[in-house]
Amino acid sequence: MRSSTFILSLLLITASAITPAEENDSERWQTRSGYYWVSFTSDLEPLEINRIHRWVFHIEDESGAVIDNAEISLLGGMPEHNHGLPTIPHMTESLGNGDYSVEGMRFHMNGYWELTVTVDVSGRRDTVVIPLTIS
Amino acid sequence: MSIAWWEFGPRTPDSWTEAELIEIRSLSLQRLPELPADPSNGVADDPRAASLGHKLFFDARLSANGAVSCATCHKPEQRFTDGLAKGRGIALSQRNTRSIVGTAYSPWQYWDGRKDSQWSQALSPLEDPAEHGSNRLELARLLATDVSLKTEYEAIFGPLPNFTDTMRFPDSASPIGSEELGTAWESMIDSDRGVVNTAFANLGKAIAAYERMLQPGPTRFDNYVAEIEQGLDSSSLSDEEIIGLQLFVSDARCTECHNGPLFTNNEFHNTGVLSFPGDHPDRGRIDGLKKLLADPFNCKGQYSNDPLHQCDELTYVRTGIELIGATQTPSLRNLGGTAPYSHKGQHATLAEVIDLYNRAPLAMIGHNEVEEKLGLSRRERKQLEAFLITLDAPIAADPKWLKAPE
Repeated sequence: MRSSTFILSLLLITASAITPAEENDSERWQTRSGYYWVSFTSDLEPLEINRIHRWVFHIEDESGAVIDNAEISLLGGMPEHNHGLPTIPHMTESLGNGDYSVEGMRFHMNGYWELTVTVDVSGRRDTVVIPLTIS
Repeated sequence: MSIAWWEFGPRTPDSWTEAELIEIRSLSLQRLPELPADPSNGVADDPRAASLGHKLFFDARLSANGAVSCATCHKPEQRFTDGLAKGRGIALSQRNTRSIVGTAYSPWQYWDGRKDSQWSQALSPLEDPAEHGSNRLELARLLATDVSLKTEYEAIFGPLPNFTDTMRFPDSASPIGSEELGTAWESMIDSDRGVVNTAFANLGKAIAAYERMLQPGPTRFDNYVAEIEQGLDSSSLSDEEIIGLQLFVSDARCTECHNGPLFTNNEFHNTGVLSFPGDHPDRGRIDGLKKLLADPFNCKGQYSNDPLHQCDELTYVRTGIELIGATQTPSLRNLGGTAPYSHKGQHATLAEVIDLYNRAPLAMIGHNEVEEKLGLSRRERKQLEAFLITLDAPIAADPKWLKAPE
C-alpha cells in the first residue's frame, strides 16, 4: 500500500466522517423546497467522458403526478476542480408524460460532478443539486 | 502528495489499484472508438476524395510563391509537424504547427478552436499571407486549368464552373485578406461568389478525407496495457516508465485533461503558459470562439453537407471567462517527436512543460486552472517524462499516405 494512502487512512479514522451524497441515476431527487421530484436517464449509458449526448429528465410534483409544462435549466461543475461543464446544455423539447429532452450534455473529466437543476413551472421555481461520479 | 524516499522500488502490475487500472485502460489505444462520421463533409469517407486530398496536400502550387504545400509544415516524417516554435510558410506564422494525426476525433481544430471541422481548417492556411499566401480564386483557377486535377475533382463533386471566364471571375479575390482582394471579391455577383466558395470548400473536404487516414499507432504503453489485461508479466515498460505512468494517473493529475485514448479531452484550458517572447499573451479560445461562430464554413453554414445541421458541439458550445488565455489540450501521443511544445512553441523540452505544472505560476492573462503546485520531486519529474516518451509510435496509415503521391 502506498505510504501516502496509509497516512490518509490514519487521518480518516481520527477525523469525523463525511457522508457522501448517494448517487444512482435511477433514483429521484426532491428539489429544495419540496415542490418537485427530479430523475433522469442518459442516452449515453454508461456515462463516459468526451462524448456529447442527451439526457431525458422526468419531473413530478410533490404528490408524484407528472408535470408537462416545466422549464428545466441546468448548470454543473466539479467542486474539487473549480470549473463548470464544458458545454451549455439546454432543454430542447417537452416529450410528454413528464419527460423533457436536455441536449448538449458532455463531461470532460472523470470524477465527482454536481449538477444544479432548476425546475420552473409557470413561475414556481425550485432547485436541486444532483451528485454524479463519472469513472 | 508523494514522499519519494518512502517508495520501495518500482511498481509491478500486481500493485496497481483498481482505480488506477480503470484510468490506465481508458488511455489505451484499444479503447479508441471508430472514426466518427463528419456529416458536414459529404466526401469524408470517399476514397477518391482521399486520393485527391493526398495530391493537394503535397502540391506546392497551392501557394503564392509555388513553394509551400501543406506538407511544408505538416511533414509526414516529423509526425506531420515541423519541429519549429511557430510554423513558417511564406513568412513566420502566428502559432505552433499542430500534428494532424488523430485530429479527426476532435470537434475543434487549432489551438483556439476557431474551426469546427478538418475541412474548414484546411481552407485557412491557404489564404493566410504568412502560410500559403494564396486566395480562393487562384485556387479555383488552378483546379480549372490543371487537367488531371479537374478530372479528379469533377468525378467526385460534379462539373466545375468555368473559372477561366475573366468576365465573371477575377484573377485574385477573397473576402479575407488585403483590400485589393476584397474589392475584387465585391466586384463579383453574389451567385458567383457562392460558386467559388463551394469549390473552395470542396478542396478542403478532399484534404480532410485524406487527413482522416492518419491515426496514431500502438505504442509500448498500449502493449503494456494489453499485456497486463491478460494477466501477463509485462516488460513493455521499464520500471522508471511504470512509475511515470503511475504519477500520470495520480499525483501529477494529468488525466484531468489528458484523458481518453488520445490523451486529450479536446477542451480549452489556461495552464499559465507564458507568452511567446515579444508577443502579447494569447487570448486563446475566447477569441477563437468568436471567429468560429462567425465562420461561413462552420457546421451550420451553407457549405456544410449536413442537411439537418446536426451541429451539437456548435449549438451547445460554451463561453465563459475561464476561456481567456485557454488553448486546446493537445494529444500526448507522439509527444517525443513533436517538440517544441505549447501554442507558440514556448517550451523546447518536455521537462519544461512538466516544470510549468509543478510551479503553477500566476497566468499572464486569465486564470491558471492549475491552482496548486504539483510538488513533484526532480526524480518524479524525470520518471513522468520517461513515461511520456513511450507514447511515440509510427503512424497507423497505409504507407502511401505518408509520402508525396507518385
